[in-house]
Amino acid sequence: MEWKLFADLAELAGDRTVPVAADPGDTVGDALDALLADRPDLRDRVLEDGDLADHINLLRNGQNVIHQDGLATELEAGDELALFPPVSGG
Amino acid sequence: MSLSLDATQLDRYSRHIILDEVGPEGQGRLLESDALVIGAGGLGAPVIQYLAAAGVGTIGIVDDDVVERSNLQRQVIHADADVGEPKVESARRYVEALNPDVDVETHESRLDAPNARELLAGRDVVVDCSDNFRTRYLVNDAARLESVPVAHGAIYKFEGQATTLLPEGPCYRCLFPEAPEPGTVPDCASTGVLGVLPGTVGCIQATEAVKVLLDSGDPLAGRMLFYDAMEMTFETVEYARNPDCPVCGDDAIETMEGIDYSGGFAIQAD
Repeated sequence: MEWKLFADLAELAGDRTVPVAADPGDTVGDALDALLADRPDLRDRVLEDGDLADHINLLRNGQNVIHQDGLATELEAGDELALFPPVSGG
Repeated sequence: MSLSLDATQLDRYSRHIILDEVGPEGQGRLLESDALVIGAGGLGAPVIQYLAAAGVGTIGIVDDDVVERSNLQRQVIHADADVGEPKVESARRYVEALNPDVDVETHESRLDAPNARELLAGRDVVVDCSDNFRTRYLVNDAARLESVPVAHGAIYKFEGQATTLLPEGPCYRCLFPEAPEPGTVPDCASTGVLGVLPGTVGCIQATEAVKVLLDSGDPLAGRMLFYDAMEMTFETVEYARNPDCPVCGDDAIETMEGIDYSGGFAIQAD
């Protein structure tokens, strides 16, 4: 499974894409845990009190997981995961 | 359409007028339109350029900054001789030189909670070209209360985000209920920004604004467009209205009073 990261999240992680060891049957939460274990600098930026911060959107195949089962959403083969924050520059 | 185009206008806007999707009616509509551009910086510059060239009849511009030399690498309506001048005045001169059909209304002030609704009320479209989360949340909330569409754009180094917030569609808070705490995301001054980037993103915002004014095409509503200049990719992600959205959800706000726009701009449930 691979994560795609946007804006300052990619900078904190050091890469725009980060492969993680998560398989079909694992959850989105498992894949997020694997990402944060691999790229610990992201942890404080995307989590708030242990949950995904309100302003961080988590997409699975281009769909926000809040419309699925959130972090409990089960992964399927070939899923694409992404995290994006708002940006404010003008 | 009561307004008829004179000979100079028929010439000036001829490439619009021959389009079936615009025509003399659409051009007349643009000339009678009132757009508010918030921020006359990197994003605001191309937005102001193209709305003025298109003959949007009234363009309000809100900005409290003066032109700095470090702006000129991207803020293409301001020139070297404008350094030190208020951006709204430099913008006004640019528009007046480009198109005498446009009335420019300048607001040399910061959009803030007490004046936001008044500035947005009655506009046909608002283009959010601001450079900070505080203004962006104020614009979203005020626009929703005043039922005004917003062409949103924002940039970070080499990346841009654009979406269009229609009164009947999802709002910015449906996607981002609260802003990151101040200081979490660095700004242009500290990170740098590719000069052309706001040109691309601003042109997308101007395109959306013109479509909204013409009531034509498919707006970027319920869709966030991601632009990556380095990878030269565009991706769109759909988002839906959030029933729990504090601004436009089932328990929608009716006023901006009581919202603290100093931190993460959270709206506390009653």
